[in-house]
Amino acid sequence: MNTSAASAARREFRASLRLQAACEFSAVRAATLAVRDWLAEKGLPETDLGTWELALVEAANNAVKYADEKARQLPVTVEISCGECDVEARITDHTAGFNWPAEVDLPDTDSESGRGLFLIKSLTDKVDYLRGPGENVMVLRRARAAVANEILPDVGRLQNRLADAETALTDMTAELASSYESLVALFRYSSELGAHTDLKDFSHRLLKDLMQIAEADCAVLRLISPDGKKLETLLALPGGEKFPFPAVALAGASASVEIGAARSHEDIWFGSEEPLDKNDPLRAALPVGHGVCHAFFVANKLIGTATLGRLMADKPFTAAQVNLLHTFIDFLAIQIVNARLLDERALARVTRRELQIAADIQRSLLPAKIPACPPFELAAACQSAQQVGGDFFDIIPAGDGALLLVIADVMGKGVPAALFAAVLRTTIRSMPQLFDQPGELLATANRTLYPDLSRVDMFVTAKIAYLDPRREKIVTASAGHCPLLVWRPGAPEAVASGQSGFPLGIEPLTRYAQIEVPLPPGSLAMLYTDGLSEARNAAGEMLGEKRLLELLAQTAMQAGDAQGGKQFLLGRLADYSGQAPLADDQTLILIRHRP
Amino acid sequence: MNILNPDAQTVLVAGLRELAAANAAQVRDEIRAALPATAVRLDLDLSALTFLDSSGLGALVALHKTLRSRNGTVRLLRPAANVRQVLELTRLHRVFEIVNG
Repeated sequence: MNTSAASAARREFRASLRLQAACEFSAVRAATLAVRDWLAEKGLPETDLGTWELALVEAANNAVKYADEKARQLPVTVEISCGECDVEARITDHTAGFNWPAEVDLPDTDSESGRGLFLIKSLTDKVDYLRGPGENVMVLRRARAAVANEILPDVGRLQNRLADAETALTDMTAELASSYESLVALFRYSSELGAHTDLKDFSHRLLKDLMQIAEADCAVLRLISPDGKKLETLLALPGGEKFPFPAVALAGASASVEIGAARSHEDIWFGSEEPLDKNDPLRAALPVGHGVCHAFFVANKLIGTATLGRLMADKPFTAAQVNLLHTFIDFLAIQIVNARLLDERALARVTRRELQIAADIQRSLLPAKIPACPPFELAAACQSAQQVGGDFFDIIPAGDGALLLVIADVMGKGVPAALFAAVLRTTIRSMPQLFDQPGELLATANRTLYPDLSRVDMFVTAKIAYLDPRREKIVTASAGHCPLLVWRPGAPEAVASGQSGFPLGIEPLTRYAQIEVPLPPGSLAMLYTDGLSEARNAAGEMLGEKRLLELLAQTAMQAGDAQGGKQFLLGRLADYSGQAPLADDQTLILIRHRP
Repeated sequence: MNILNPDAQTVLVAGLRELAAANAAQVRDEIRAALPATAVRLDLDLSALTFLDSSGLGALVALHKTLRSRNGTVRLLRPAANVRQVLELTRLHRVFEIVNG
């Protein structure tokens, strides 16, 4: 109860009156006289009555003067409401309407017309002309003169004060008229800041609102290109797709006012006195008329330019409208910078997640445990240069105590490479009948994988080895992969053996040669990927196959078992690479025939 | 509205109560029609005028131009305060000779 009493007390009482007059001078004149009488009843002093009478007559006469035949059939409506502090009038007309000029000036003294708007503006505190479909409303507002101590102001002084305040008033009126719309628009935009909205869509809405509020006929929005060398068109309204809008280069001599604004950090005005250069691309949007170009920056870095234009040459943008341009574009700049940050962050997040998935897949492919294969002993290692590499190996029991060894390098990184490694592993494991024929196995795997690999321009180098403990030999076939290195007791050095066919995914129908290499007791063999032979030292020098053969021989002489050999070999490799980061994945399988 | 001809060079208009959109053009034309070729002074007695709007101002300017073309002048006699204010607001008081009292 308290609340409603309080709000009733706060609510100002306003008396109101609504009149309709036929669309002719004498009828609207009669209506204004009726309004005058009504205002007199409300206690308005004589001077205010005269002021309102004239202001209403001017407004209503306009509604009659510019009415066409159809509009003349419709009444002119005058509504007036009188509060304690002010009076507001609304005159509804059915004319085509007009744009309230930014500056209302007196015409030349010899002019026989054109003083109406000036009188309306001079006689009231605020004028809004709201254009709508079929009808327009002129809203006039004026404070009521304080009843006590009212002194009629000397007209001369009043006139001086009016003249002094004219500029300020014009700006303030324009600002007030647009401030509500601007605020609503800006609040709406601010709710979108930080959200991942489509930048072009956001810019489009913002620019359209700005054009409407600032009463512009066209707008061009450019953004700096990713390489920072030119301004590219994001939007040109209206109907930007119809205008040929080439990007403009930032460097070098330029006829473009947009480049001028970007370089000078200052707004550039153009119009009849400062026409656009004939080579300025903006001419496509604004062949006549005038406009203002504003370059916008964030942290002193150029983000882009926004240009507003008006086709009517005699109606320059007001200071308030240029302020609107600045405010709106500031919002846009924030959104652009935010959008870019979000893109970068999202990309980083996706990449991290992708790498995580790929690393998980890759880890799951590697054999958890290396099966025994006496008299052979095996050890294997797979170290990735980056989070995820394309290397993988597999060791599969192949029946009769034999093992199938697979080593491969998928060309590519990330999830696709990891997925292909998984597919290759499954393909090979699905053909146990071919385990003792590595050449045939590779040819079949190639036929199976070729369509998928070629579609994504990927290929795989792979080596398959059938380790036969009974015959103490290894049977290998190679698809573009590194050779098998073998050291045999008594030999001064290790040798590379094997010839190679195409990597998988290059040729759909290709054959792979199959070679048998004896592994006598005491021998040491190694399957590896090129990350080992191509390891570089701090000076950038590649290890090479020859040094790798020497290293294998040293390993064979230093270490008795495969595991120890692996530690020794990796240790020496690390010594060679020194501080240099791993450039490629390094994978190896060591096969030791225990002496 | 009464149009008088006190002498060959002067035309005096009196009794005008409103000069506004509804009648401005008609008043202008009637006064022009009543100007003899010899008239170089048009005195508009505005003491009865209660309302003047921008159309009325247009008629005054038109008459001023007519008189100026024959090296004559328009004088506005005894305008009421509200009429004078409209003239001053639109700075036409610099164009017309205004006679008070």
